[in-house]
Amino acid sequence: MIFGRLFDFLKVSAHQVARKRMRVFLTALGIAIGVAAVIGTVSLGEGVRYQAVEAIKEQSDLTLIEATADIRGGAIQFITPSKIDELAAVQHVEASSAVVREAYTTKRQTYLEVVGIDPGGIEGVIRPKFLRGENLEPGSRQAVLGHDVAETLQRYEGVRFGDTIPILIRRYDDDGMPVDEEVQFTLVGVLQERDDAFDQVMLIDRRVAQDLRGDEAAFDGVLIRVDQPEEVFSVVDDVKALGLTAKGAFQQIESVNQLMDVVVLILAFFAGVSLIVGVLMIVNTMVTSVFERTREIGITMAIGASPADVVYLILAECFYIGLIGGVFGNLLGIAFTGAINTFGKPFIIAQLGDTFSTFAEGDITLITPEILAIGMVIAIALSLVSGLYPALKAAHLNPVTAIRTGV
Amino acid sequence: METIIETKHLGKAYNDRVTALADVNFVIRKGEFVALLGRSGSGKSTLLHILGGLDAPTSGEVWINGKSIDFSDRKALIALRRESIGFIFQSFNLIPALTARENIEYPLLFNYHDRVARRERATDLLSLVGLGDRAHHYPREMSGGEQQRVAIARALIGDPLIVLADEPTGNLDSKTRDEIFSLMRQVNQEQETTFLIVTHERELGRRADRAIELLDGRVVS
Repeated sequence: MIFGRLFDFLKVSAHQVARKRMRVFLTALGIAIGVAAVIGTVSLGEGVRYQAVEAIKEQSDLTLIEATADIRGGAIQFITPSKIDELAAVQHVEASSAVVREAYTTKRQTYLEVVGIDPGGIEGVIRPKFLRGENLEPGSRQAVLGHDVAETLQRYEGVRFGDTIPILIRRYDDDGMPVDEEVQFTLVGVLQERDDAFDQVMLIDRRVAQDLRGDEAAFDGVLIRVDQPEEVFSVVDDVKALGLTAKGAFQQIESVNQLMDVVVLILAFFAGVSLIVGVLMIVNTMVTSVFERTREIGITMAIGASPADVVYLILAECFYIGLIGGVFGNLLGIAFTGAINTFGKPFIIAQLGDTFSTFAEGDITLITPEILAIGMVIAIALSLVSGLYPALKAAHLNPVTAIRTGV
Repeated sequence: METIIETKHLGKAYNDRVTALADVNFVIRKGEFVALLGRSGSGKSTLLHILGGLDAPTSGEVWINGKSIDFSDRKALIALRRESIGFIFQSFNLIPALTARENIEYPLLFNYHDRVARRERATDLLSLVGLGDRAHHYPREMSGGEQQRVAIARALIGDPLIVLADEPTGNLDSKTRDEIFSLMRQVNQEQETTFLIVTHERELGRRADRAIELLDGRVVS
């Protein structure tokens, strides 16, 4: 019954719309341009976001994250043995290893960032490629250096593969005076360049580090290897659910997403201004149309249409305007983004520089079915909203005076 | 014969000063073909609009098919227009965007959605008014007389108790006027449809079963 009525009204309105094709088309074009502007800007934003995220994925070790202590509700959540076990049991965690973080200096005052980790953890979680040498032996005072720090030590202190590195560890005596203890580490391995924080790090055995700190239950974090890049954010959520903080390359993706959310929102807002113009065009067209058809509307009411019927008839016409506007808007939007890809891409790559050279391979705009569907919904919804005032105006006509109108 | 419409002391005043209708009393019975005569401004159109539920009286009552019309009940008035009344206006009263048959079906769009039955009925009515071959023609493709035939068919599609026609021949030449008048008379006699026709032409009044004449809002004969 309701569908029968809907179908009948849509059919009558299709006739009305077909009768003034040119006017309807020009009106629909107004909304179409607005939709195209929104689609163009949003797809550009989404495209840049996608490319930036892909660039980050390619250039960093995304599936490596570190869980560290956090302050929640005023209480510090320490890394305890039970937390370490819970982290290891999180879904999609392929391997995990508790770490101790220290800062040492060499005898010649070179600052060293030190990570104490089980040799098994180095293999399973960090997954290093050795430029020279090999992994640590458990329990021994050996060191593996990241690529950059190895180069620094060689250049300024002459430390080579196989040498010992003299380290000063500062302690305090009973009177509170600083006393430096010298400890020797043998350099057994140097890592290949990784382009991440491990390039700057000296890796030593965790037990040795805890021993030197004098606290065997101290942990500063847990390194986690996630099985697939797609699961990183779900693991991060689980880490946060345990009351800990998560750090890693994924944070760059988070910042890109936050930035692009704002950029897309602002772009869409300005594109939305053209939608407002489109809405006003529809209001204008429909008010004119209602005025021209005053007598027709009066007769329609005289032969049995209720005010609600009149509203639906006018809104059905607006639905067609929205439909046409949506289709043309999507087509224009696709053409617009095609133009951005062809002409705008070289310019954007030149502006952003080398980091984003991956853009050159793909398109910088991204049109998804969702974006097109949203464009369609926007066009139809705005047309219906625009039609409300003219439709209500028509429904409130007095049939007697409307019929007397000589048109 | 069964009473279709009865008015009791019907009055209509605008702003409590201008009196359009005053103490109008008459009865129309089933199958009658009644002319409502009067000069322009005599209140005939106002009376027609009140009988059709488009306008409300300021005093008195209208009884249709044995029931008093409550003019404050908008839903009941819409139902009255849909189920009991068929309207014919002066020319230019078809929907320009719709074909002849679609125009005839148009009143049923608002309460009757059996498309096949609706189409059959409209096709029958097209033949009845002698336009069986014009189903797909638009109003602009038809003469004034043909348009008015379509309007008559449209008024009949809801099987109304009474057809109210407001100067249906007002814009037509004399030959076409006779044809349209004869067609309505024919429908009245063959289908026993009741007609109330507003006209200012006394000639047409004489060809009706009887005439009600208004002068300054009062029935004079």
